Amino acid sequence: MTWILPEGASLSFEGLAEPVLIVRGLGSGSQGQVMEVQVAGERLALKWYFPACIARDPNLERRLGEAIRATAPSDSFLWPIALLRPTPGSQAQLRTRSGGFGYLMELRPREFAGAVEHVAGRLELSLRSVLLACLHLADAFHALHSKGLCYKDISLGNLFLEPGSGQILICDNDNVDVDGRDLGSVLGTPGFMAPEILMGRARPGAASDLHALAVLIFRLLTRHDPFRGQLELAIRCLDEPARRRLYGEDPVFIFDPLDHRNRPDPEHHAAALLTWPIYPAELQALFVQSFGPGLRDPARRALTGQWQRALARCLDQRQLCPGCGQENFRDGELVAPAAACWHCGSPLPPPLVLVVPQGEVVAAAGTTLHRHHFDPLHPPQGDAPLAELVAHPSDPAILGLRNRSGSVWRAVLNQGEALEISPGRSVNVAALAQVLTPEGPITPQRRCPPSPM
Amino acid sequence: MPSFPNVRLASRPLHFIYLCDCSGSMAAQGKMQALNQAIRQSLPGMARVARENPEARVLVRAVRFADRAHWHIATPTPVEELQWQDLQAGGVTAMGEALDLLAEQLASPPMEERALPPVLVLISDGQPTDDFETSLGRLMRQPWAQKAVRLAIALGHDADLEVLQQFIGPDPSSGQAPGTVPAGGVPAGEVPGASGEMPRHAVAGAGRSDRSPRRPLQASNATALAQYIQWASTAVVGAASMPASRVGDGQGGTSGAGNIPLPDLPPTLLDPVDDIGPVVW
Repeated sequence: MTWILPEGASLSFEGLAEPVLIVRGLGSGSQGQVMEVQVAGERLALKWYFPACIARDPNLERRLGEAIRATAPSDSFLWPIALLRPTPGSQAQLRTRSGGFGYLMELRPREFAGAVEHVAGRLELSLRSVLLACLHLADAFHALHSKGLCYKDISLGNLFLEPGSGQILICDNDNVDVDGRDLGSVLGTPGFMAPEILMGRARPGAASDLHALAVLIFRLLTRHDPFRGQLELAIRCLDEPARRRLYGEDPVFIFDPLDHRNRPDPEHHAAALLTWPIYPAELQALFVQSFGPGLRDPARRALTGQWQRALARCLDQRQLCPGCGQENFRDGELVAPAAACWHCGSPLPPPLVLVVPQGEVVAAAGTTLHRHHFDPLHPPQGDAPLAELVAHPSDPAILGLRNRSGSVWRAVLNQGEALEISPGRSVNVAALAQVLTPEGPITPQRRCPPSPM
Repeated sequence: MPSFPNVRLASRPLHFIYLCDCSGSMAAQGKMQALNQAIRQSLPGMARVARENPEARVLVRAVRFADRAHWHIATPTPVEELQWQDLQAGGVTAMGEALDLLAEQLASPPMEERALPPVLVLISDGQPTDDFETSLGRLMRQPWAQKAVRLAIALGHDADLEVLQQFIGPDPSSGQAPGTVPAGGVPAGEVPGASGEMPRHAVAGAGRSDRSPRRPLQASNATALAQYIQWASTAVVGAASMPASRVGDGQGGTSGAGNIPLPDLPPTLLDPVDDIGPVVW
């Protein structure tokens, strides 16, 4: 590989007091190359653009400068930190005559894997992690759009996730623009592009981001494409014109309740048929909305806030099957016995729920409580848990509630005894009448099905 | 431990086929060795791209041609399992026969009912010694040959660029269509999305290079050959298997030009004098 910035070189850039050591090349793409560099003792990544990329995107430098000044909307973005232009002195060391520019960003930690690894079935992760990743994604776009910005080109290729925690990183933030201003040339990635963009009726912005976001969430949750059903099977050679028809001219959601033309094929689209029924109707409804009326009318696409609520609620409804341990998500009311486990077919018993000021959460190992469970004004988020349901280390059948907040809780046991739960300690949920936390009370309730008359 | 259902994205095959000139002249100046090296060295990168594109099952084959044409790798082989056996030079240039072998394999069957556009890479340093035009006509009657991304690499200065351009098809950016490529005889709807148009070269914005993947790529040394092979086996495979980010053409929308938009040539090759310097070779 030929690197524009030679490995091992120490290069000076305008406005930087110290030279930047080019440590090694990390990768090369269609736009440019990414190098690992050392700046003032700190390891960072430096993306350097190919001259052809700069030539066809005249506003790139301006957008980057504005993004840097705007600062990252949330921790989920690998946001540009500084724009670098070579000094005349280091220009000669660059393997390009036109110089060009690049930007610094944080290095992507090793534990983050490409989202494509998940879609390809090569990552071991739980449904909870995938839902958390989707929640973080919705949260990230909520923060981005709230700043008046849009991303324009989200796809599986620029999303990374940490399989254990569901934390995400969004890379390639160089198309970010002020929504509606259209100082860019990128249109998006086929398969993720909204139909009006693919067909040239509109330019990318926050409204088309919402389509791409829905596609991305669908692909993460199902490992399948929302528009690949029977209509895809009718295509022999899946090339550009075929994709245009599938995603632009006549897109039909594979689970559209009214239009049945594009239903998944049991043999070729098995992933969609297996995974889709796992999710609660409330979450499914957002896809039906975004990929139904929302396909033609961008104003009717599910909003980031709706995704946040539905995904957070889905996580609250998670119940582990007593037969096989698999994760199930209960629909609607938590009283009635749910349908059978999607994995082993065992009937799911009425769950133990935790009543919190802002709703009810099914008690299942791994589930976490957050500020939004207590504070009606706090948006649903998947990080900074205040409490976590944990299995007892020696007897997994015993479920505990761990204090993950910074304050001491007061627990009232079933017999009326009161005790203190310090941060990091867990209390047996079966013994618990109520926990009083500074954020509000948590009350376990065993839900029994209505007794037959 | 709970885990995500054991399902994965359905994939389609992507056939990548090398057509390698093994005529006697390939023995000169180490060209044969350079080609063997270039292909062997390109395989890890190709495997990486295949891995990043779960929608595609990348399957590699190769035809060698000299006095006769033979399948060098007859079985479509997943790229990660491929071991490149060295080609040997000697004989004349039965390029037409190579196209005949290809045409047989691009018929349906043996081609799958559904696939991604095949990628065909023709590498030659000379002139066909058999009836190239008749064979090309036969090949281009196959719908999968029409849908294929067809690339050609000219090794050295004696390659017949006219013939290689005929294999690729007319270059829309040249203004004058060299040669005549037989039009497809496919009834409309036979292969959905059929389009006789050729991919437009994506680098139009750069607007200063006369190099284009729609013309024979001229490799005058081993480094250039290796970079072209690497480009074909990574960037082009990526473009044919999973769509990449699109840039507008100023008129709004992605115009439907061609069935696969070809990626930029590597910058080092686009303009070795003006852009990335000639430092490396």
